[in-house]
Order: sequence, then structure tokens, then C-alpha cells
Amino acid sequence: MPKLKLNLEIWRQKNPEAQGSFEPYQLSDIDDDISFLEMLDLLNEQLIKSGKAPVEFDSDCREGICGSCGVIINGQAHGPLQATTTCQLYMRHFGDGDTIIIEPWRSKAFPVIRDLVVDRSAFDRIIAAGGYVSTKTGPHPDANSHLIPKPVADQAMDNATCIGCGACVAACPNASASLFTAAKISHLGLLPQGNPERSKRVFRMVQKMDLEGFGNCTNIGECRAACPKEISIDTIAQMRRDYVQALKE
Amino acid sequence: MNLDSKIPSGDLSEKWSNHKGSIKLVNPANKRKHTVLVVGSGLAGASAAASLAELGYNVKCFCIQDSPRRAHSIAAQGGINSTKNYPNDGDSVYRLFYDTIKGGDFRSREANVYRLAELSSNIIDQCAAQGVPFAREYSGELANRSFGGAQVSRTFYARGQTGQQLLLGAYQALMRMVDAGKVEMYSRREMLDLVMIDGKARGIICRNLTTGAMERYAGDSVLLATGGYGRVFFLSTNAFNSNCTASWRAHKRGALFANPCFTQIHPTCIPVSGDHQSKLTLMSESLRNDGRVWVPKRKEDASKPPSQISEDARDYFLERKYPSFGNLVPRDVASRNNKEVCDEGRGVGTSGYAVYLDFKDAIQRDGLQTIKEKYGNLFEIYDKITNENPYQTPMRIYPAIHYTMGGLWVDYNLMSNIPGLHVLGEANFSDHGANRLGASALMQGLCDGYFVIPYTLGHYIASTPLPAVDTQHPAFADAENSVRSEIQKLLTVGKTGKKTVLEFYRELGHLMWDHVGMARNEKGLKTVIQKVQGLREEFWNEVLIPGEATEFNKNLEMAGRVADFLELGELMAADALNRSESCGGHFREESQTPEGEALRDDENFCYVAAWGYTGQNKPETLNKEDLHFESIKLSQRSYK
Amino acid sequence: MSYPQVKSFTTVFKKLLIALSGLGLVGFVVVHLLGNLTLLRSDGAAFNAYAAKLESFGPLLAVAEIGLLAIFLIHIVTVLTTKKRNLDARPVAYRQWRSKGGDTPSNLSSRNMAVSGSLILLFLGIHIWQFRFGPGMSQGYIATQGQEQIRDLYRLVVETLKNPVMFLFYSVVMILLGLHLRHGIWSALQSLGMTRSRTTTPLRLLGAILGVLLGVGFLIIPAWIYFGASI
Repeated sequence: MPKLKLNLEIWRQKNPEAQGSFEPYQLSDIDDDISFLEMLDLLNEQLIKSGKAPVEFDSDCREGICGSCGVIINGQAHGPLQATTTCQLYMRHFGDGDTIIIEPWRSKAFPVIRDLVVDRSAFDRIIAAGGYVSTKTGPHPDANSHLIPKPVADQAMDNATCIGCGACVAACPNASASLFTAAKISHLGLLPQGNPERSKRVFRMVQKMDLEGFGNCTNIGECRAACPKEISIDTIAQMRRDYVQALKE
Repeated sequence: MNLDSKIPSGDLSEKWSNHKGSIKLVNPANKRKHTVLVVGSGLAGASAAASLAELGYNVKCFCIQDSPRRAHSIAAQGGINSTKNYPNDGDSVYRLFYDTIKGGDFRSREANVYRLAELSSNIIDQCAAQGVPFAREYSGELANRSFGGAQVSRTFYARGQTGQQLLLGAYQALMRMVDAGKVEMYSRREMLDLVMIDGKARGIICRNLTTGAMERYAGDSVLLATGGYGRVFFLSTNAFNSNCTASWRAHKRGALFANPCFTQIHPTCIPVSGDHQSKLTLMSESLRNDGRVWVPKRKEDASKPPSQISEDARDYFLERKYPSFGNLVPRDVASRNNKEVCDEGRGVGTSGYAVYLDFKDAIQRDGLQTIKEKYGNLFEIYDKITNENPYQTPMRIYPAIHYTMGGLWVDYNLMSNIPGLHVLGEANFSDHGANRLGASALMQGLCDGYFVIPYTLGHYIASTPLPAVDTQHPAFADAENSVRSEIQKLLTVGKTGKKTVLEFYRELGHLMWDHVGMARNEKGLKTVIQKVQGLREEFWNEVLIPGEATEFNKNLEMAGRVADFLELGELMAADALNRSESCGGHFREESQTPEGEALRDDENFCYVAAWGYTGQNKPETLNKEDLHFESIKLSQRSYK
Repeated sequence: MSYPQVKSFTTVFKKLLIALSGLGLVGFVVVHLLGNLTLLRSDGAAFNAYAAKLESFGPLLAVAEIGLLAIFLIHIVTVLTTKKRNLDARPVAYRQWRSKGGDTPSNLSSRNMAVSGSLILLFLGIHIWQFRFGPGMSQGYIATQGQEQIRDLYRLVVETLKNPVMFLFYSVVMILLGLHLRHGIWSALQSLGMTRSRTTTPLRLLGAILGVLLGVGFLIIPAWIYFGASI
């Protein structure tokens, strides 16, 4: 099994107020079949044993669905592979002797908490501004009483696969959250259950997105390239279509 | 202790409706005077928090992740069962109830399971109304599939991401209530103690994981929906941060822990590949619908590449041993058989601990495109992790810890033996017995949160005097001080320790997997109890923890969780030792049929083992709740 | 109309303004190019006649010019506020940033709209100063059309573009214009929500072709004059 020697340059920042900087680290004898996060685990074990502070980073499910993890690896959100979260990235995609620069998501709306950990609660607030169907728990008509054509259901599902990792914001040269916001607007707006609130939803969520300090989408498309779930920017057009429709109402 | 399960009287099918009709209600105007603390934001926690807030209660919801949307329910792949019977293939409430009881090897509570089956169709209606994008047929109707050993198609799904979609549905309902000002959401908070006043659960102590600050929260009831404890094995399909701490701290305050040895091993996971692995990845059980499980007939072939093993040299052992269920036998049976063939030396892969799951025949039969549509995302995950293409070479799979059926003891109202402490979802013990059927976890989490607790919590609040308390009460100070001193103890040792938290964690995991894993025996269990005790002592003397309590410090968080696992691990072994029968996922080698199947001992073990905490390093006391089966006859499970 | 406070000046609304004004400008650019193609007739009479015809509209031309200016201003001002927001949105820059490419509209054009736009704006100032407010009949730039004396704009154009510096400047800006429109036309449709999953790729291609064609069209003129035309 190939073993790698790596030069890491990692952003270290003790707390939100502190000034951060890049620190160099060397690792050797890294198996190439471990994941990127397991490589960071290994680094941390070494740091702890030598009395240094480990590198803090978020991760949980480690199978690409919870959306906790995510760092900029050599300038790319979640690293070099398409449709891949940081936890699903394996070291076999790096070469012996590589230098790897690791940075946190950078956005005014995602302040750094420590090292590679950022605060993404702005996403929760965008959802709270209308990313739901206003239905209560209780008896509902039979689930089959609304027939939804398969292509529509599939399209809604494509949008609903968003894991809220924030890579779209991180990769966007404008730090825009349009892909995230539009994915939820489209998912719900496409379905009959979410349709009645379509106009209200698009206004409120877009306004919230702006208030949180995200940038403006200029149709660059980096979000789509970085999105681990490959959500299409067609969804952003859908959001604007909803917006125009809502303006007319 | 007398365990009153509070099962309502009457015919099984009428218990829940009778109960709903007779329990007390809280006046709408009074609901807003009550605060409910919901710990955990997974399917059970988020659905409960949203539903209670809609009713008018003030809800505070806590989660350890940075957002409630990341709870581990999100990783459930396969689906959710419901008795809708849309395919008209003979499903009914009774059949789901029976399958669940039988699948759980007759170690769950009849009334709870019946209620679960009864409410299962409401869940689908609820989720569809929320805009959960379930898979659809071309007719526009909901699609179903058969799953995990069921002989009817009762599983609803959203591609391979059903848990994600259901959780996002509940999360969105929760965020709607945050928007309405009825839920206060506290992310990156870890519950570290339960506060009891006058014998009732009245509050919690949390550590703010961002700042390290200790925080006190008071309420009229505490709902624990903090998931299972599978991470006690270190390697499992559970998320890296899943833990038992909230449950365990409540246990230390008096909540009984029921059937801790009932853990589920999932047969289809990607095998362990090295020493640095941090978690295992599940390949959905749905793969067994089309994949065929095999190993070479002869040991000598095990190291050959699969393409060089001819058809007649392959042993499709599940199909051979269980002709009627074949590859679709329940999880525990499949897992044990996988282990057995590997123990015989016929396992494949570099470690020898894997079996093949082969799609060659399915691809030939249905075409590549069909298989791609069904399992494309799973095949991609597999490829990403192993660097092998499962369309061309068979997958290698091996069982891994996936779910824990045991948990805090609750009565029919989902209340623990501590008044006011309710436990929902995987964190409680009640519905799955000794083995959970596929696509039932999502059902139970949502059932508890959407449809049970909104009724039963009202009953508790309406029928219990709950004088106002605030966080200045001495009980809060006491609890906070005990949490602080434990953290201080960890950090004091941590400054000079030699072994990292992760090293202890892995070591505990190995011990648990080797002795309390897929097969257990008296000798191994007695050994592991001693070893875990030893490891615990070593931990409290040797653990190395960086940093301080007053900062963001994931190693400190993990240290607290590992400390709790080191206690729970011993209890699991003690419970497994006590239960000298085999049932479901609990396989005692001493108790098996001549064919090597799990042999129950209904005479002596038809009970729930609910353990009570008695103090640091002291053996726990066993309380028994006898299980009564009125509607069904206990039988030996057979999937031949 | 129940959400007046949130309707205007959200980022999505601004993007609608940018798109509509942008498409208006594309229309202008097309007309301008068609008119300018008369420069390719080497005697200059056609071009001077075209210019004179425009002049003859008098007040109407003024209205058109003010309208055009308004569209430009809307485009520029909204873009500037957008740019300001976008710069604020990432206060700490990445040490390294690399495109992830793939099947997206992310390319040199789309990532540098502000750069190309600003240079085009700079050009526009110079261009208007050179021609709209440049020397006219009183400075001796006189051509004859039948009996009439008209401004010899043709000579001014040729003189200007025979200057190697100006030729280079015009050529570079026309390339930038092509790049700006290569992304801009599709981007406007995307901003207006007019693209759908099935149409977006063809529209992107079409927009790019049209953009590049306009750029090339404008590039031909200085090249033709620099290398060929004489007065």
C-alpha cells in the first residue's frame, strides 16, 4: 500500500476574535486508503502527544450526508473531486510529497469559531424564514390524495438532496447562498403541498439571505461545481422565476 | 423496584384510542405556561419539539451539532415502513405488528408495538403533507418496496436518502416553530446532567460547546431524544459524535437502563480496512433484494480474486441455508452467518473478514440501467471508499454495529421511571425487542415525536403538580458543580496523561466488538467486564486531553463521552451475561439450536432487564418487567 | 402586493434590473454594430450618411440618448452596489482559490464580468469623448452629401484608428466586450429566470455564440481600418 509524505499548511485561529495564520505541519507514512478527515485525526493525535493544540474541524456522519464537514483544500471546496464531501475524499487522490493548503469556509455570514470550524447558523435562519410547508402535526388527507407526477417528484427530490454543508457559499467568488436558498425554494415550490406559500416563501427567504450578509449571485456556477450533491443552478433560475411571478401577484 | 408499564386495559387494537380518550388534557391557555426541554433534534426530537410547540408549549430544543438538521437520523438510507397497503399485497396493522414482534424475537412490549403499527400510516400522511419528496410511480402515487425480510412491500422511500428527507421534513417543521417564536433552538449544546427537583425531572445542565460555558435550563419536563449508543463499539455506522452521555447521565440520576445488551449488527457494511478508520459505512439493506451473498466453498480460494472463482466453487450460503427467505433473512441472522463463514476461514478481502455481495445476476436479469437507477448512489459511495467498481466486481461487505434496541426504560407514555423524564426514539428501549426490522427506526422516531408524546406529555403535565422553578434553585447549582468538578477531574488528569482519548476509545471498541459483538459467551463476557473496569481505571489516570474547559475543545467533549461509554460498556456486558438465552441480536453461544440458530428461553427470560445505577464502580441492580403476550403465541423464529 | 418592504432591492431584484438593462444594452450594441458596418464601405459616404441621418432626428435623438444613458446608469449603479455587497461578503480572502470547473458556466468570462465591464466603461468614456463630442464640421471635418455639407465622421474614425495605440486599445476592448457578452447574454436570461433545465445549455451556447459574434463584429472594424482603409 503506498505511503504518503505530506506538507500541510493549515489555518489556525484560536477563537472568533483572534488573528489567525497558517501553520505548517509535516506528516509521513500516511496510508493512501484513509480518508482526508482520518488523516487530520492522525495529525491531531500527533499534535496532542507533543503537547500542542489539535486542529479543530467539524465532522459527524463521515459518509457524506450530514453536511457537517467541509474545508477548502488547495483552493477548492471539499477538495478536488466533484460530487464529494471532505469526509468522502480519500488520500489516494493526493501524491507523495504534496503540499496541501487547508482553509475554513470564508464568508462574512460564516464566522470562524476556531481553526477550520465555522458558524453556519445563517442557513438555519434562512430556512426559518419560510423553508417549510405551514402544516401542523395531525391528521392529514391520505398521502395519495395529491398525485405528483414522477418527473416533478424527482425534480423536487433533486433539490431536496441539499445537505446544507455551505460549499456553495465557500466556492462562490461572491460568497452567495443562492444555491442553498433556491434549492429549498424549488423543492417546496414544485410540490403541490408547498405551492400555496410559494410567493411568500421566495420573498422572505431571499430577504433573509440578504440580511445575513451573503453575496449576490452573478451566475458564475462555481457553486454547482462544488456542490457535493450536484444541485443544478437551474434551481437559481427557478427561484428568480418564482420571484418574478410573486412580483406580478 | 416495581415497574409499572401503564399499559391501558382493553383489546390490543383499542388500547391507544381508549388511552387517548381517557388521559388528561392541558387547557390551550395553560400550555403556554409550560416549558418543555427537548434534548436532541433527530427524527424523534425535532418532530416532538415541533409538534409540542404547535400545541402551544414553550419548547427549548438542544443539539450537539451546529444545526439541528445534522442529527444522525439523516444518515438512514433505506426507508420507512407503513401499513398503507397501497400495493394491495396483504399488509395490515396486525401484520406489521406481528412482523415487528417476531423480528424482535418476542422481547418487546406488545401494546407499544401495536401502537407503532397503528400509527405508521399517519406518519406517511404527515410527511407527505410537509413536502417530503417520497419516490413516486408514474401514476403519481407513492412507490413502495419490500425491505429487510418483509414479505410485503410496505416500505416508503426517497431514493437512498429516506432518513435525510424525513429529518429535513421534521427540521423544517421545527424551524417553522422557531420562526413563530415557540421554539428556542440551542445548537452546539451538550446535555451533561439532569436536574431533579422533588423527585421530578425539572431541568438540564448543558455545556456550550462553542464557548465552554455551563448553562442551566429549567422546564416542566425533559424529553431525551438523543439516539443510541452504538459508538461504544467505536467502529459503527453511527456518526462520529453519536454518544450515550445524555442517557447515561440521566441513568446516573436514577433512570433505569433497559436491555443494554440488545444491539443490532447490520449485515451489509463496507468492511474495516485499516487501523486508522474512524467509522464504518452502511450499504443499504435494500441491496440484498438484488445482490447475492457468497463466499468460496473452499478456504484455499478465499484469497483469489472473485473473477477466478467459478460458479460451482461458490457457496451462496444464505440461499442454501434459508431457501424461503434466501438473502433477505433478518439482519441478525444474516450477520451471524456472515461471521460464521469468515470464522471458518472462507472470508474474503485483505482482512479475511468480508463476504461478497454480487450483482452480476441482477445486472444480467434486469439490465445495468435498472440496477443503476435502484442503487446508483450506493455503488458510487462504495467506489469512492474502496476504489472498486461494484458493477464489475462484487462488493465486499461485513456486519457492523448499526443500532441499539436497548435504551432508557419507558412506560407506555414514553416516560421513564423518573417523573417528567420522557425518552423518545432510539434512546428508549420499547419497540424493537431484541432485533429491529429494517425501515422501522424512522417509523418509531417519528411515531414517538409526532403522534405519541403530544398526547402523553399533556397527560403528565395536566396530572402533576409542577410548581414554578427557576435555575437559581440549589438543585441546579449542585448539578452544575458536579459537572464542573468532573470536567476539572478530566482536565487535571489530562494535563499529564499519556494516552489520547481516541486511543482509549478504540481500545474500548475492540474489547466490546470482540466480546459483546455478534456472538457472546460467559467466559468472554466475564473477561470483558474486568478488562473494561481496568481500562476505565487507566482512563482516569492516564488520559491525555489538550486544552481547556472554557474553549471550543472537541477532545474534551469526546473524553466525557468515552468516560460514559466506559461505564455503559460494562453494563452491556453484565446484561449480556445475565441473559443466558439467545434472542434476536443477542446471541449467546451457550444457547443455540442444533442448526446454530438463536435459542430463546421464554421460561426464564421473557422480561425486560431494567438496570438501576447504584454508584461509581458498583454493580447495578436488576429490575424485571415481565413481558405478557396476549394476542400472539411465542414461537421459535424460523426463516428456513 | 402584501410584502412591500421586501420586494425591491433584494439581491434577486437587483439582478433582474441588471439583466433587463443588460439585455437593453445588448440591443443597443447590435444596432450600433449594424450601423458601424457601413464603415467597411471604403469611401466613407455610407457611414457619414448614416451618422447624418441619426443627427437629423434632433430632439428624438436626445431622448434616445438620455434613455440609453439611463439604461447604462441602471446597469452600472446596480452592478456597483452588487459588487460592494459581494466584496463585503468575504472579508478575509482565500490564500488560494481554484475553480472546480466541471459542467458549469464558471469560466474566465463569468468570473471577470466586473473587470471586463469596468474596462468597457472606461472605453465608453473615451469613445464618446472622441466621437460624440469630438471635432466636427467647425474643426474642418466636412464631407458632402449631395448638396449638403455634413460632418465627416468617417475621417475622424479612420484617423483615430490609424493610431497604433488607439487601434490596440479598441481591439482589446472589443475582445473584452465579446467576453462580457459571452457570459452576459445567458446570464441575463438566467437572472430573469428564463432558463430551464432543458434549455439552459443550448441558451448558454447561443448566448456565447452571439456574444462572441458581436465581439468579433466590432473587432473587424478597427482591424479593417488599421490595415486597409485610407482616407
